[in-house]
Amino acid sequence: MPRKNTMYGRRRVLIGGASAGTLALAGCIGTGDPEEDDDEGTGDDTDDDSNGEDVEMADQIDVWGWDVAARSLELTADAYMEEYDATVDVEEFGQDAMKEDLRSRLTAGSGAPDVAMLEMIDGPAEIDTGAVADLTDRIDDAGIEDDFVSGAWASLQEDGATYAIPWDIGPTAVYYRRDIYEDHGLDADAIETWDDFQEEGEKLPDDIAMFNIPVNDLDGVWRFQFRQLGNRPFTEDGEVNIHNDDSVMIAETIKQLYDSGIASDYDGWSTEWFNGYGEGEIASLPSAAWMEGTLRAELPDTAGNWGVYRIPAHEAGGPRASNWGGSSLMIPEQIEDGERERAWDYLTWSLATEEMQLLMYDEYGLFPALETTYDNDEVFDEELDFYDGQPARRLFADVAEEMPEYQFSIDTPYVSDAINNHLFRMLRDDEDPEEMVMEAAEEVAERTGRDLA
Amino acid sequence: MREQRRKDAVWKFLTYSFILVMTLGMMVPLYWMIVAASLPQEEFIRFPPRLYPGTEFLNNLSVLHEETQFLISIWNSVFIAVVYTILSVLLCSMAGFAFAKYEFRFKEPIFYLILATLILPIQLLVIPLFLMMAQIGWTDTFRAIILPWLANPIGIFLMRQNMKSIPDALLESARMDGATEFQLFYRIALPAMRSSLAALAIILFLFQWDLFLYPLVILEDPGNYTIPVALSGLEESRRINFDQIMVASSLAIIPMAILFLFLQKQFVSGILAGSLKE
Amino acid sequence: MATKRSRDDHLVLWDRFRYARQRLTAVAPSVTKSQVAYLLISPFFVLFGLFLLFPVVYTVYLSFFEYQGIGQGNLFYVDFGLFHITFPQIAELQFVGLGNYTRMLGDSLFWQSMYNTTYILVIQVPIMIGLALALAIALNASFVRFKGAFRTAIALPVSANIVAYSTIFLILFNETGFINYLLSQVGIEPISWLRSEFWARKTIIGAVTWRWTGYNMIILLAGLQNIPQQLYEAAEIDGASRWEKFRYVTVPQLRPVLLFVVVLSTIGTFKLFAEPYVITDGGPTNATITIVQYIYEEAFVGSPNLGYASALTVIFVAIVSAISIAQIKLGGEE
Repeated sequence: MPRKNTMYGRRRVLIGGASAGTLALAGCIGTGDPEEDDDEGTGDDTDDDSNGEDVEMADQIDVWGWDVAARSLELTADAYMEEYDATVDVEEFGQDAMKEDLRSRLTAGSGAPDVAMLEMIDGPAEIDTGAVADLTDRIDDAGIEDDFVSGAWASLQEDGATYAIPWDIGPTAVYYRRDIYEDHGLDADAIETWDDFQEEGEKLPDDIAMFNIPVNDLDGVWRFQFRQLGNRPFTEDGEVNIHNDDSVMIAETIKQLYDSGIASDYDGWSTEWFNGYGEGEIASLPSAAWMEGTLRAELPDTAGNWGVYRIPAHEAGGPRASNWGGSSLMIPEQIEDGERERAWDYLTWSLATEEMQLLMYDEYGLFPALETTYDNDEVFDEELDFYDGQPARRLFADVAEEMPEYQFSIDTPYVSDAINNHLFRMLRDDEDPEEMVMEAAEEVAERTGRDLA
Repeated sequence: MREQRRKDAVWKFLTYSFILVMTLGMMVPLYWMIVAASLPQEEFIRFPPRLYPGTEFLNNLSVLHEETQFLISIWNSVFIAVVYTILSVLLCSMAGFAFAKYEFRFKEPIFYLILATLILPIQLLVIPLFLMMAQIGWTDTFRAIILPWLANPIGIFLMRQNMKSIPDALLESARMDGATEFQLFYRIALPAMRSSLAALAIILFLFQWDLFLYPLVILEDPGNYTIPVALSGLEESRRINFDQIMVASSLAIIPMAILFLFLQKQFVSGILAGSLKE
Repeated sequence: MATKRSRDDHLVLWDRFRYARQRLTAVAPSVTKSQVAYLLISPFFVLFGLFLLFPVVYTVYLSFFEYQGIGQGNLFYVDFGLFHITFPQIAELQFVGLGNYTRMLGDSLFWQSMYNTTYILVIQVPIMIGLALALAIALNASFVRFKGAFRTAIALPVSANIVAYSTIFLILFNETGFINYLLSQVGIEPISWLRSEFWARKTIIGAVTWRWTGYNMIILLAGLQNIPQQLYEAAEIDGASRWEKFRYVTVPQLRPVLLFVVVLSTIGTFKLFAEPYVITDGGPTNATITIVQYIYEEAFVGSPNLGYASALTVIFVAIVSAISIAQIKLGGEE
């Protein structure tokens, strides 16, 4: 019986209840309170996982992440270091810089950190390098798989093995400016479909856009809708399937909204884009849970004016839940055993305990992939000032539980590239949606050597 | 005669106008960089654009210094670039002299080989180079950044082209006087090439100054970061911290400006011309 | 000679050395001279052999394989008695012969990136070199004052950090950026600088020209200053016009340096990477993706196609080498 998983014990203590039983069966529940386990959890900690040998945990590990994610890891690292006698050094990078550096070190087989951030969208490609440690047995031993939102695992798995632990996810919603909606008589509750959305948007005067279509990120716009309708870009046989009826319908929806004149078309995250939302020239923002953190940080003056509703359906009664973005933590294959034990210990401490996940959510807006946290009514039903008293977190949690699973693949960059370019041409040059989607599919097929479904 | 003077005046006017227009064109984006560096980010992205500097330069600088060890990075960059430039100027001018003034077997193929290394995209060399450096334990060292590029093909090529303008007669007469081949190099060739050596120094300095991907992968301790590596950390996941990057970039111009001013006096004509008079 | 001030024993040594050298020169002068030449270029080979040979050979080697993931265990182990070298197996590779090369033929994005790069090159390099040459000549004119200040000001853009200046250009040329603001002031419709294939390429050309013109000017200026003044004086005595002096003195004398600038700029623009990466991200619709950006993405973005990226590199180096050598030959090298 491994004694290291004291954090699960702590979580049990926090929520108690029925699921504790299943965990005990899986052989992993910690006993007693964490303080009691503390001295055992330090240097002489052992683990009888798949390696089948006792390895002493290393005293120090390096953890890589970027931006807000790195800062939130610093929070959990501080808490971890208070609890255990070990040093966790979190290094903050720029996003591109970290990806480049990490890729070089993974492919060169040395110099990688002990724990690294991995975006879900990059999951399959990074796993494909063969440089990411297989965590399947550890996850099984810890019995934590069911604790996470089921849709979050797919991109971290390959051939039945799991290589990373989900961290945060991006349940989708439309952010809207309450003040603008109110001033011009728009009714957020009346919006169920994209047609409704357009109808409401047409009530706005010409100098206010209903929303922005980020023409540099059309693949993101397309992907969340594609996922909303339960699609995957490749069939089980590996054939390209981005030109199915749903995809065509999504393209038509985007084009219709664009042509209706209710949308601005700034590049996402550009200066004009921030300006538009800051100055109240754009009324709504279809995005995901993590957008709250950005809005809080970059447009503090708008706090209290926001509300959220579920993304519109394509047909009345259709699904209104999807996901946009998300990340995980992984352990490189190349590191030493001692480091690996410590890395796993820290990784589970940060991601598989409600306390840490909620800490990161609260501080930096990283929406937990750990589903068990959603039971915490105090956090999720809180009436938030940012949303003028709306308990928005509950909405995101509901969306998270409903969102269809989606699998990124090693060829995701080709899909993104083709969709983005072709939908851009569709909007700019007034091309036919069906034709563009078909051409995009053909391009992906050509570049990846796959067949069309 | 008067006709000639009028022509000269027109020519002078045109020359000055051209220089002024070009100087202005070159300065506008730089000026704007400094404007951006002196404004809070929200101000800077407003439309219509701000045209005058604000008052936030020092504030932005202090934020920058909190987020990165930027002054240390400037020092690292300067140190690496200066050491690299001094060593490489010597190696490149030696090789350039050989190619310009000597005949030897395989001269042409060797030169084209050097030229081909100039074409290699560094991006693809990074992974095997990192692997080597990790094997010999040189990761996170300055020598790993400096040594691989010392025999800089651009520098060799430049000096080869410039050394050609040294008259053979000059070298031959020095040989008659009993000068050794190495004396020809450092007594005659190098002093004759002052302005070219200054240009070479600028080229080499800039080459190191701009390297990004390679030092990013080699360097680990933030205290060892060069400027481009430190700046890459300012790029947030989806947006760029304009204000800090602009402050950093404005400051990073200073060492280059000093280098230019320092090399100013090398750009004087007549060394080679003078030696011909005798 | 410095030897005159040397101590006696040194003098003796020096004389013996000189005697030996003279005898050698008498016997086989060319051999000695070429040995000197080899000695002068040897540092390049030492450094190349130590640091670049392996990456280059490895790249060529990889181009015949498909990368399957990182390797396990050691590739070889050599015991020298006193020490040993262990070489890890870097990657799991599958031999595909010329597969990566034939794949290139049918890869539309490879051709697109070659086309983009060539397009940018053909416009950008002549404009930049023309401007740089004109500036160098203007700033070399004897009547121009404040030369140092102008030189520095024009050369300064090259010292701007690549990300920072690319960001500046991105903001300048945005839909609602400074340039469109200026245009609107004089009544011109805003231009979609970054969203039309035509203008996006022009923006990249503008950015690259802005940064590198001063750099080339410095090189050309140094070249101009190596031209003996007597040649101009002689031409003046013959009554040569300004144009004739340029045509018959400056151009032929500057030819080696001008050739250098042409070759260097061609290679530099062929290797264009950072500007399109930051300003346009290769878009719109891949209109500004360059060949090096494509190679980079194959290696670093998505799954690591190191074999294919290596093959692309080999072909890229071959093509650009051929062009450079052609330029050197056409540039009138003896």
